[in-house]
Amino acid sequence: MRRLLISAGIAAGVIGMLPLAFAQQAPVPAVSPAPATTPAAPASPASDATPATSTPIASAAAEARPAGEYRITGSLDVGYRWLDGPGGSFETYRSVVNLGSGVKLIGLDLAIANPSRKWFENAHIRAFNWGNDPYATFHADAEKSRIYRLNVDYRGISYFNNLPSYADPLLAKGITLNEQSFDTHRRLSSVRLEILPGRAFTPYVSAERDARSGSVVTVFHSDNNDYPVAGVTRDSTNLVRAGVRISFRRVRATLEEGYTNFRNDQSDSTGPTNYGNTSVQTLGQTLDLTSLAQSYGIRGNSHYTKADFTASPFSWADIYAQFTYTTPHTTVNYTQYDTGSLVLLNQVLFFSGQQYLVNATASFPHTTANAGWEIRPYRRVRILQSFQTDRMTNTGSAAQADTLLAGTATVSQTALALASTLGMDSSQVDISILFDAGRKFTLRGGYRYVWGNANDVVSPQEGLYTIASEKLQRNIGMGAVSWRPSQKVLLSGDAEVGTSAGTYFRTSLYDYQKVRAMGRYKLLKSWQISGDFRILMNRNPLAGSSYHFLSRQESATLTWLPSGKKLSVDATWEHCTYQSTVSYLIPQLLVGADSVYSEDCHRISGMLNATLRGLHKRAATLEAGGAAVITTGSRPTTDYQPTARLTAPLTKNVAAFGEWRYYGFGESFYQYESFRAHLVTVGLRFTR
Amino acid sequence: MPNIDLVRRRNFALCGVAAFLFISGGLQAQRPTTVPKAFGDEYAGSATCQICHEDNFNNVTKTNPHRVVETDKKLGFADHVCESCHGPGAKHASTGDVAFIRSPLKLSPGEADKICLNCHANQQTHLGLIQNSHSKFAIACVSCHKMHVNGGALLVARKNADVNQLCESCHANVKAQFLMPYRHKIPENAMTCTDCHNPHGIPRQGMQQSFAGSEPPCLTCHGDKRGPFTFEHAPVKFEGCTACHEQHGSANPRMLIRHEVRQVCLECHANMPTSTPGVNAMGVVPPAFHDLRSARYQNCTICHQKIHGSYVDRNLLK
Repeated sequence: MRRLLISAGIAAGVIGMLPLAFAQQAPVPAVSPAPATTPAAPASPASDATPATSTPIASAAAEARPAGEYRITGSLDVGYRWLDGPGGSFETYRSVVNLGSGVKLIGLDLAIANPSRKWFENAHIRAFNWGNDPYATFHADAEKSRIYRLNVDYRGISYFNNLPSYADPLLAKGITLNEQSFDTHRRLSSVRLEILPGRAFTPYVSAERDARSGSVVTVFHSDNNDYPVAGVTRDSTNLVRAGVRISFRRVRATLEEGYTNFRNDQSDSTGPTNYGNTSVQTLGQTLDLTSLAQSYGIRGNSHYTKADFTASPFSWADIYAQFTYTTPHTTVNYTQYDTGSLVLLNQVLFFSGQQYLVNATASFPHTTANAGWEIRPYRRVRILQSFQTDRMTNTGSAAQADTLLAGTATVSQTALALASTLGMDSSQVDISILFDAGRKFTLRGGYRYVWGNANDVVSPQEGLYTIASEKLQRNIGMGAVSWRPSQKVLLSGDAEVGTSAGTYFRTSLYDYQKVRAMGRYKLLKSWQISGDFRILMNRNPLAGSSYHFLSRQESATLTWLPSGKKLSVDATWEHCTYQSTVSYLIPQLLVGADSVYSEDCHRISGMLNATLRGLHKRAATLEAGGAAVITTGSRPTTDYQPTARLTAPLTKNVAAFGEWRYYGFGESFYQYESFRAHLVTVGLRFTR
Repeated sequence: MPNIDLVRRRNFALCGVAAFLFISGGLQAQRPTTVPKAFGDEYAGSATCQICHEDNFNNVTKTNPHRVVETDKKLGFADHVCESCHGPGAKHASTGDVAFIRSPLKLSPGEADKICLNCHANQQTHLGLIQNSHSKFAIACVSCHKMHVNGGALLVARKNADVNQLCESCHANVKAQFLMPYRHKIPENAMTCTDCHNPHGIPRQGMQQSFAGSEPPCLTCHGDKRGPFTFEHAPVKFEGCTACHEQHGSANPRMLIRHEVRQVCLECHANMPTSTPGVNAMGVVPPAFHDLRSARYQNCTICHQKIHGSYVDRNLLK
């Protein structure tokens, strides 16, 4: 503990030196940024109360500065985090939390106003969670009224997943290895520029990139055995799009053209001798994999055309339409060279080497269109109608060449050409009528009809009849009511009942009822309670399915925000229930059985904010609360995340803060995946 | 088997009803008076409003986007920015009586939205407003947007944490779903609700955003699942990721809807092969060598690792 405190002091001192300039000569703050963890404001309609972002004094002070000087307001949070532990499964900790120790840029939030309006009028820069955290974000935007608007966004997300309970066939042997695990990093970036925003013609251009790289543990499947192998994966998608928005008072249209470029490379290899998941001998022989060079080279591109149109031809009518056409296309070059003691079971053929090459392509033209209108024949009546359709066809082809070797001799050579088609046409019409029975009472009733066809074929066929072709046909009735007897009370509810004559999948919505009710009551000026209830019941009566699904959620939220603001509380509790039963066939016996899933959960979150007396009459703030999840049923789980944070101002523009968090995760059936960890962060906040 | 004639007749009937409503609406409709007569017809001008509402006036005319209404004569409300939303205010100004000024907060959501849509009806983000779930549920623009704030694009929350907090203030159940251990990183504010949902509405189910034209928003980040694959897995394309995953959060690894992978698979792959459409649904039972008593066959994704679609193998093995 003593070492912890000494380290905290040193770290805070070092960190404090870095942004010293930030705090120097800070003017009267024009903005008082709220702490990031301030509880949610009451969910009342946006208030007309004077916002906290400006005061006449601050405005006057700002205007007194010489023209041309930037006005910078905002905050910077820097600190150091210690991770104690984790106790238990480090792999699960990384899969679920993945926060580590080190110096952190916790948050940067700057607003820059340029009174001279040269180059830009306003700019915002935000950056959060930098310093080897699993999710770092950066955002910047700048604008000059009616000239341009620029947005830049970046997110770096680490994705680690190694949970043996997900996919580990060797668990019975005491080997905890997830054979589908990842340690990857994803980087998302985008730049968007709008020219002449707010004018009749607004061209825009955007470039976006999504890139992932890292290592994986995957499986090399070879007939009667599967071998865990290590791999390296790298993929990226680049999207460039440009368009123009045309806006007039009664008519607006957007035309957009986009192009994507995609590449995905994965290569897998294995160590000297890999005995795989199956240790049982096959026809008297032990199978193994001694070498593997497997690589996927996937390249793709697509372009899309998008057009949308809205108009208000009359004061009593609005209409809209949208059309999108995309044509993604991929080509694949797959190579596989492997050696070992391997078998082709259906030919009872043992071999020592294999070369497997595939060249494949796929095209996926996809058209979506929708149109609709809203008409208001009377002041209190709105009629909404829409039609939409979604049409897609994927056609793929693959040329496969498989050569099996015994030593250097070829024992089998096959070539195969495959073709695949996956298609779907789906449409729906929807009509709703809204009636304002008064200013405080709105009723809605509607009807929706959904229909479609789908098919899935791979040829030449293998095994049993495998052409899948299904139809979708669903009728849905809808009703809703919204009642606002006063600004303190809001009650709303809606219901949806659907019946089907066909669906694509056994677990799709078939005959279902969906109900939702929500209420909000502002008890006193400082108290607000709200509740939410929703239930979905779905049943598929088709022979062999016997599918019954129930999902129910009840939640309640309490917000206490007294006028003095020295203490506030925000708490949410939710109870959920999921129950599912569906018949299936046990493959090896072809006899029926039931797949049963149940989950009953309690989820609680809350935060208490208190203002305390701090140094030099500067108020300190204490935030304490956290979240807890307790589930029972098919996968009983507990997840506790209490937290506390103390912020104490040191000077007018500098505050020190300390934060403690605890993560406690446990699973009754998979206790080897439990973990617990303490995280302590200390740092400084600079504001101006 | 769906009756095609019935379907056609139904579609014609729907179109007929719609056409009738559209035409009768046109005949019946009167041009709505944007300001009730009770509020008077005389305008006071922003300078008059400023006398009592100086804070709001200052905010709106400094960096608020609506300041353009005050200055741009083409918009028709030059020097009357307050009254562009609140209606003529001369009577209110002379009497001080709030009964003589229009407050959008006190109007029905439809009426309040109409004020905003006088100018904003034909902007890109409002394309779906007509079919917008928020609109249908009588949630007005002013529920999220604060009109009087000072600051560029700050009429609504922009920071990730603020955006999420705004949505959670009504969607408490969704907030709770994000508490589950396996989740998208909303509580950490690495993402926002609006990354996946368009709060102004969009014809897609769940007000989902779209990626590259018409594809689901999941592909914005999970580009490696986009394909097109030579051998597709039909549910991914037909029902999207939520066929197998809880999109917000789950107690099950990989945010699956079931605690074991085989359950997710076998609940669909349970039909005997048939050549007759409509008899059951897609997903035939696996061949008999899939002996579920063996650990090897209890984790389907061990072998069928390319479960989202395969570029090279018809059985999604590689």
